[in-house]
Formats: sequence, structure tokens, C-alpha cells
Amino acid sequence: MKAQNFISTWRHFDFWLLGAVVLLVIFGITMIRSAVAENIELVELNLVQRQAIFAIGGLVLMFIVSAIDYRLWASISRPLYIITVVLLGALTIAGAALFGSARWFDTGVILIQPSEIAKIVLILVLADFFTRNMSKIHNLSFVALSFGFAMLIVVPILLQPNLSTSIVMMVLWFALLWASGLRIRHLLMFIGAGILAPIVAFPFLVDYQQRRILNFLFPDPNARHGDIYNIQQALISIGSGGLLGQGYGQGTQVQLRFLKVRWSDFIFSAMSHEFGFIGVLLVLLVLLFVILRCLRAARLASDTFGALIAYGVATMITFQAMVNIGVNLNLMPATGLTLPFVSYGGSSLLSSLIGIGLVESVVLRHRALDF
Amino acid sequence: MTVQPTIRNEISTPRILAFIGVVAVVFAVFILRLFVLQVLQGNEWLAKAAENSTQEINIAAQRGLIYDRNGVILARNVASYNVVVKAADLPDDPGATQEIFRQLSALIGVPVNRNEISPENPYVPCVSDHGIAQIAEYAETSTPYQPVRIVCDIDERVAKVIREKKLDWPGIDVEIQPIREYPTGSVTASMIGFLGPVPAALEDYYVERGLVPNRDKVGYAGLELQYQDLLAGRNGLRVVQVDVAGQELRNIAPPIPPRPGNSIRLTIDTRLQQAALEILVDEINDWNAYFNEMRYSSGVVIAMNPKTGEILAMVSYPTYENNRMARFIPAYYYNQLVNDPTNPLLNHAVGDVLPAGSVFKLVTSVGALNEGVVTPDQVISTPPKLEVTERYYANDPGQAREFVDWNKAGFGHQDFVHGLANSSNVYFYKLGGGYKDEVPNGGLGICRLGTYARALGYGQAPGIGLPDEEDGLVPDPTWKRINQAESWSSGDTYIASVGQGYVLATPIQVLLSAATIANDGKLMQPTLLREVLDNEGNVIPIWRTPEGDLVEQPTPGSVQVSPFQPIAKWDLTTDPVIQEYGETTIRGCEPIPGKMKTVAPWVFQKIKEGMRLAVTEGTLAKIFAGETISAAGKTGTAEYCDKYANALNRCIPGNWPSHAWTVAFAPLENPEIAVVAYVYNGTEGSTVAGPIVRRVLETYFELKNIDTAPPVQ
Repeated sequence: MKAQNFISTWRHFDFWLLGAVVLLVIFGITMIRSAVAENIELVELNLVQRQAIFAIGGLVLMFIVSAIDYRLWASISRPLYIITVVLLGALTIAGAALFGSARWFDTGVILIQPSEIAKIVLILVLADFFTRNMSKIHNLSFVALSFGFAMLIVVPILLQPNLSTSIVMMVLWFALLWASGLRIRHLLMFIGAGILAPIVAFPFLVDYQQRRILNFLFPDPNARHGDIYNIQQALISIGSGGLLGQGYGQGTQVQLRFLKVRWSDFIFSAMSHEFGFIGVLLVLLVLLFVILRCLRAARLASDTFGALIAYGVATMITFQAMVNIGVNLNLMPATGLTLPFVSYGGSSLLSSLIGIGLVESVVLRHRALDF
Repeated sequence: MTVQPTIRNEISTPRILAFIGVVAVVFAVFILRLFVLQVLQGNEWLAKAAENSTQEINIAAQRGLIYDRNGVILARNVASYNVVVKAADLPDDPGATQEIFRQLSALIGVPVNRNEISPENPYVPCVSDHGIAQIAEYAETSTPYQPVRIVCDIDERVAKVIREKKLDWPGIDVEIQPIREYPTGSVTASMIGFLGPVPAALEDYYVERGLVPNRDKVGYAGLELQYQDLLAGRNGLRVVQVDVAGQELRNIAPPIPPRPGNSIRLTIDTRLQQAALEILVDEINDWNAYFNEMRYSSGVVIAMNPKTGEILAMVSYPTYENNRMARFIPAYYYNQLVNDPTNPLLNHAVGDVLPAGSVFKLVTSVGALNEGVVTPDQVISTPPKLEVTERYYANDPGQAREFVDWNKAGFGHQDFVHGLANSSNVYFYKLGGGYKDEVPNGGLGICRLGTYARALGYGQAPGIGLPDEEDGLVPDPTWKRINQAESWSSGDTYIASVGQGYVLATPIQVLLSAATIANDGKLMQPTLLREVLDNEGNVIPIWRTPEGDLVEQPTPGSVQVSPFQPIAKWDLTTDPVIQEYGETTIRGCEPIPGKMKTVAPWVFQKIKEGMRLAVTEGTLAKIFAGETISAAGKTGTAEYCDKYANALNRCIPGNWPSHAWTVAFAPLENPEIAVVAYVYNGTEGSTVAGPIVRRVLETYFELKNIDTAPPVQ
């Protein structure tokens, strides 16, 4: 009976989603290998090996998370929320006091970015919060309340300082708010506020953040180094890829290291350079497929909580990918967001795979009443 | 219907679809942007990528040397040693690096830490003052694979020590930089010139010829400038792939090796050059000591073989020390030279236009004898002064004007050879401008004087092969109308006949006129270049085109300049180069087209006779007393008025200062050496310039005796 139940549950496992994700991860590791090939320091750091270990660990975690019934998270959502807020707050204060920045948390074995884990927690607690309070969504004061609820997690991260993750979190809050039935009237208000907010917030940004935005809006054509230089090299890398690319391990921009952070923030440029328009189009389609499979899970979910989780994960992946690619294509100011599944970065890969685990968990249980 | 979000999926499909819509639009934008960048603009970006990773490395070619006629080196390249750091090769361990810096510091005396490099205090190779660590850090962050100079021009011994330490001190090396050296320095500086960095104004010109600004040097003056292309050779080129740090990875195209510059051998005899300079300076110093003031400041001595045109010595004094410009041109020194009223940077031998004075009487002589204005035996009265009516046009009633002789007693009556030997002004006034019935029909006249002057080398740059050659001036009525807004007067002709007034000449032109007479009317092309050698020392044939370019293959109208062969510009006794003119000068000189003539050979014999008489009995007799070399010569005392004379209030008639000239050749029977000496403000030709010429002539024959003497057993 139990075994049959197990089989009937895993029958719904989305192997297409898993396949697409594994494809992206393997492609990412391959690309990282090409990106670090000529750089002795990076080879010594074993980026490829580390990413592979994180990928395997992440896939194991993904299966574990998908095996756990997601509804469990709803039942412990309150303690989860409180513990996260307290830990993040403490970490931010302690980290700032001890190291000057609290973006990294050293577990002794590996460095973990708490903000990456916090994104997953935020999806869970917000999904639960909105599910419980769906009837009040038309009320603007509830919207404000949900904002405050999210901000308790966002503010410590904003103070780390980690602006890009904070923005991802605000987007998550807003996306879940929208999916839960935000009124169009209120949406328009938010759009208005969304246009005003950057202008009001600009003076409060840290110096380097201001410079990046200004460089994007008013580029200095003579700049040789710094942000403009990186973006310029990214464009050269992408453009010179042409239709079919320079070939794997053959691109001068990547192999001769003209492209900066080519294993992480600018890995999209690196693959555009070496695989060309056709290659990058395939990667974009696979990424799009992953997003659509997550949204499919949201449609199939047997309850609102599950749907919001799947939808939240889809938002997280989509937004990060859009920002990362947008920066690479010089359509947005430079930020530190990575390309999900592809870029080098253990914490980011782990959180993305855990997210996929949650989606699989939702898909697995979408017909709980199946007899 | 009640909302039951906890047990049913209450998320509305349109909201998910809206989300998908946004994603679709964004991805469509991305794909469009990718298509534009990669497919439409792909080639432009590809070119930029290639530009990133491609570097052209220009390999310096060795500059050719300059020798004198006997193989004495006048310009060569010597090694200068710079200590450089290649940051990428330094040890990874900061402690080891610091230890290297400490040991190096003790050896070269540059402290390990001093003066941070900043925009206010930038790194300038060889000039700015920074510690080793600061320069190494600068190298690390800017060009880790390129050598960056720590200190320049260190002692050769220290350089060897550092080279031996190469294995122990990774990243530290010695760079060898060629520096131009002139063993004869200021003795030949006005002729050889000096090098300097590629000037900004000519950067495009030199870059087109493959030179690298801020590294390669180019000729700034003298032969270094004149033969720049020949001496410089052609730089080589490698096109290499580099990574972002500038490390060379491989050749992209087959490398083009540098072609070393050609060397040149001059006609100069350094021994005679040295002697001529010392004689000139000695005479000037003697006279200044005698007057107890700096009366004479500058002068020129040129010696040439009148039969071949080879310049044996060319001294322009004062000059400069070109070795001081070897590494860089010191601003204070250069400014000092530029502001010096004697203009040491100018080669006065070819570049200073001066009143020629009585040496110009040689021109009047050739013209008057050849045109039959006087016969050689005709005796003419030569009173102390000549009073004639100066007319500006044909029927001008005119005004009386006096023309005085330098000899206040006059010379009584003179035939041609005595008139020339004594340099009687009145005699030559009459020849040039006519006098009553004694020399009828207005004498030689300005137009015919002009054609004889040009035939003897005046009025055009001689083409000796130096950058500052001047044309001088042979005036005529048209020139005066245009430049002085005045008609030519009969008085102007009188004055021009004795080389004063508007006549201007360079010392080399004075020498050429005498050399042409010595050579019986053959004007030889003067030259400093004897041979062009390839980098293995073989003589290679070189031709000069009519435009003055040097080419390795003969072209129509070109003349071979290497190996040396005497080139006669013209032989006045056979080549018709004397222009005939119409009678009137109202509308300027009117050449009769096609009417050209030669000079009778006896004319030169007669003039040589007169020049010999000048040495034995005439103006040079005292100076050349006891000479045994059979010299013939002509003096000149040329009155002048320039800004310096004007400042001393000397520019009033009767009080004008004068330059000293003497030109002579020897031996009379078969001239092989002609020498001109000129001393600025030299008071009197015979007493100041005469001894210089005599001593240089005698030195020439002494050197000749040494060279032809049988070797001592």
C-alpha cells in the first residue's frame, strides 16, 4: 500500500523540468570550464569541481525537498518566518561589526550566502501568508501589511548591503501579491510608485551603485576600465560570437580574459561568444521551458499555497535571468545577479535547485485525492 | 461561492497568462537584441574583438653609422643600460619580492619605497622619481608583461652584475637602448647634426615610414636630418596575439625583420676638419686677446678639392656639442643655443647669407674679360675715389655720388692683374658700371654681372646635401622693383661690382666661385657624401633623382652619388651657360632667348694670374710671405649692417663694420685644394681671414705628405 502510494505520487514527477534543469546545470559547468581554462588562479580554485559538487549536492537536496510534502512548510511557516528574521538581523549586525559586510556566512566547510536561502524562505512564508489572507487582498491596508511582513526579511539584506537580492525579494512579494489577486486599481498605483521610487531612492544608494546607474544612463565613450569597460567587453564578446560562435574554448574574448567575471555575472556573454546566436537561442529556449514548467506546476497545484510556491519560484528564476541577460546585453545597469543554473556560484545554484525541488513537490501532490 | 484558498487552487489563470505575456515580451526583446548584435553587427564587433587581442610590435632597426673619408667614425650607436621590471615574472611571495627590491636598491641606489605614483605625480620613464616598489606596483597594474624602466643609463659594470643575477632575481632585467654617440662631437656637429624624438608636427610622416614616436629618434639637423631615410633603415614588424595582460602568445602573421640603416662615408678629412677649427678659433682668440674684447665671435672655414667637388673640411664656429643631445635634448641647453646671437645651431658655411665684398670681384673679372669690357693689358686710372652721376632711369639728370676706394691713397693706374691683386675698388667700379670713355657703354652692367655670378655658383643653393643651404642673392632691376619698390640705379651696379649692396652669398658659394676659376671654368658639384655602405660595409650604388631623393636604381635624369665620382655641373669653357641680354635695362634684364655663350679659357688663366699676384705682391703678400705652396687667392672686406651692428650705432656711412673674407687655392699650376675663411665682423679680409686660409692650406699639404710618405721601416 505504502509502496503503491509512493509510486502513484512519483508518477507525476516532472521529468521534463528535471531534464531541462540538469541540461542547464551541465551546460553551465561546461561553460565555466571554458571560462577559467586560461586563468591559472581560477583553475587552482577548482571552480569547475566546486560547481559540480554543488550541482550534485543541489540535485540531492532537490530530491529531498520534492519528497517532503510542501504543505509541511505551511504548518511551520510562523516559526520559520520568526527564526529567519531573527537570524538575518543578528547576522547582519554581527557581520557588519566583524567583517564589514555580511553577504557571506562561513559554515566552516563552505561559504553560504544567507540571502540566497532567505529568498526561498520568503517564497514559502509569503505563499502561506497570502493563502491565509486571500480574502483581504482587495483591502489596501492588507497590501500594506503584507509589504511590512516582507520588509522584515528584506531590510537586513538591504543593510548587508545587497541591493540586487533585496530587489529580487521585493519583486517576489509583488509577483505573489499579483497572483493572489491584487486589484488592477492598486496595480496602477504601484506602477506609479515604481516609477517614482528609483528617483527618490537614488540619493540613498551607495557610491558604486550610483556610478553604475549613471554609467548606464550616460556612458562615457572614453572609459578604459571599470563598469563601462566590462560592459563594453561583454558587448564585444556577444557581438563577435556571430551566428555560430567562435567555438567552445576558442573565443579570444573569453580565453584571453578580455571579458571579466566571465564564469559568473558575464557567463551569458561568454556563451554568446563561443556558441553564437544559434547556441544562445537554444539556451534561452531551455530556460524559457523551465519557467513554463514551473508555471505549469502553479496551474496544476491542488491548492493556492502550492500554486503560489511554484509561481514564486518561477518568478525568482525569471527575474534573475532577465536582469542578468539584460545587463549582459547592456539593456540595464550592471548588477550582481547571476544567471540561474548556469553561472558559477554555489549558494545561488543551491537555492535555484531547492526552488525546483519545491516545484516538483507541488507537482507530485497535485492530485492528492487520486484514488 | 466562498473563497477556499487552503483547499483549492484559487490562482486565476489570466494572471498567470499575464505573467507569461511579460516574460514572452522580454525574451523577444532579448532575442531581437541578440540578433542585432550577433547577426547584423557581428562583423563590427568581431573587428573590435580582433583589435583587443592583436598587437603590432615594431622592431627597431639599427641606425647606420657616419664615417669620414679615412674611415674615422663620426657617428655611431652605443649601448645604454636601463634596469627594468617585468611584474609578471616577479616571485609570488611578497617577502621574496621585497628581498629582491632591497638587494637591487643597494646596487642601483634607488630606494625601495619613495613617492607614490599618482595622477599628480605620474610615472615618467627615466625622469620621475619613485621607489622600486612603487614602479613595480605600477607595472603590475598597467603592463605586467612589458618591461617598465626603474632607472636609466646605469654603469655598464652594474648592468653586468644585474644580468648575472637574472636567475636569482626573476622579473628584474637590463634593457639595452642604443644611444647615438659622436666621437668628434662639436668638431663636426654643425655638419653631422643630432637626433631628437619624432616631432609632433611630423608624426604622421614618420609613422608612415614605420617609426615609433617616443622610441625612435630622427635627425634634427645636419646630415642626420639630410640622410634620415638612408640612415634609419626600416623597422621590422611582428603581429602577435596578446591576452588581456599584454602577454604575447603567438605570431599571427609572419614577422617582417628590421632592415638596418645604411652607413655613409663622407668626403671630410677629420684631421683637416680638426685643424681648420683649431686654426679658426686660434686666430679669433688671438685677435680678441689683442683687442682685449670679444670683437670676433663667429666664422667659417671650408676646404674642398676644386677638381672633384669633395668637401674636405667644413667648420662653422661657434657650434654646439651634439653629444649633449644624445639621450634627450636638454631644454636649458637648447634655449641657450637658440638665444645665442651667433646662432650656433646654424651651419653658417651653407646657411648664412652675407655680403661677399671683394671676393665677388672674381665674378666681375670673369664677366668683364669675357665680354671684352676691358682687355687684360688695358691700363685704367684708379684714383682714391670715383665721382659719378647716379641715374635711376635712362634720361635721369641724376645726382653726383662718390664711390671710394678702400685704399685712401688710390692705386694710380692699374692693368687687370694688378687691379685684381690690389683689389682696387675703383678699377672694378669702372668695369662693372662703366666710366666715361675709359670704360664705355656702361661697363659690364648688372644683367651680365648676374649671369656670370650664377655661372660661378652664386644665387642658388649648391646642393651639397645639407638641410640649411641658402640661395644667397644675385640682384637685378626686377628684383629691386619688387622687393625695394625702387628702380635700379647706376650706383647699385657700381656697388654690386665689388660684392656690396644687394649681393648676398654663403661662404660655400664664395668658395665655389674661386674653385671654378682654379678648375679652369669647371664648376664641380660640391658634396659631403662619398659612399653609401650597407650594414656589412659594402659600398652600394645610389643615385640622386632631380628631386633630390636617393634611390637604389638609376632613373631618368638621376646622377650616381655612391660610389663617389666627380660630377661637373658645367664647364664654362664648353657649356653655353652665359645668357646674353638686350641693351636696355629699363624693364629689367631682358635675356635674348637662345643666345647663350661660353667663357674663353684664357679668361681663367688671366684671373689665376691676378690671384697669384695678390699672394706674391698684392693684398695677401704680407700674410703669405715665405709660402712655398704656390697659392693664389683673393681677399674680401665686406661692409655690413645687421641688427647687432645697428644696435652699436655702426650703421652710418663710413663707419660700417665689415666681415673678413679670404679665398685661395693651391698649387697654382694644378690646384687640388681651395679654402675659404670668413670671420664675422672680422675688420679686414687679409689680416684676419688671410692667415686662417694660409694655415689651413699648409696643413693640407702637411697631411698629404704624411699620407704619401713611405711607411717607416
